[in-house]
Amino acid sequence: MKSILLLPVSYKRIGWLLLIPSLLLGIGVRFFDFEWKFLTIGKGKEAIIDSKINFTDEIALTGIILGLLFIAFAREKQEDEFIYHTRLQSWQWSVLINYGLLLLATWLVHGLAYIDVMMYNMLTVLIIFIIRFHWVMNREKKFEQ
Amino acid sequence: MKNTIKVERAIQNITQQELAEKIGVSRQTINAIESNKYVPSTVLAMKMAKFFGKPVEQFFELEEDD
Repeated sequence: MKSILLLPVSYKRIGWLLLIPSLLLGIGVRFFDFEWKFLTIGKGKEAIIDSKINFTDEIALTGIILGLLFIAFAREKQEDEFIYHTRLQSWQWSVLINYGLLLLATWLVHGLAYIDVMMYNMLTVLIIFIIRFHWVMNREKKFEQ
Repeated sequence: MKNTIKVERAIQNITQQELAEKIGVSRQTINAIESNKYVPSTVLAMKMAKFFGKPVEQFFELEEDD
């Protein structure tokens, strides 16, 4: 069965190898104010906000997004119609749950904290898809009746 | 739709994995079909029929709500 828009099988591993360090870097940036000094441009002495920019967070987020995309779009070893079906169904699930969570957060989270919600919401579609898809694949793998 | 693929498999004495390989799908797919979680396409049903050497109606059956 030929399915479009899929990456080779090896991208699943590449995705994880990219995701894990990027995620650690992202956690460092977000919660521990970590940054690589050499990635700073601008002097930052002027009284203008953002005249000094550090690109550590850009690198972390790029790695996280690409890592998740690679994992989500990597082909399975034996791609077939059921897997294709599961894939589409999992996207549907993840979009629905994603917007459900967003609506919930819209009413429950206010002020600056909402920026965090938006940040995590950028990634939840991919994360929920990956969890749902792999959960189904593993569930069907388990039973040999 | 219900099916008796598990029975056909037992007659042929092959595992889910072996059947999957014979008709070019994943083992998950065979498992999902056997447990009535997935209804295969006509193409896949015909491939099974060819492998078991009998028409599809003999191992796939429509149910009331189909």
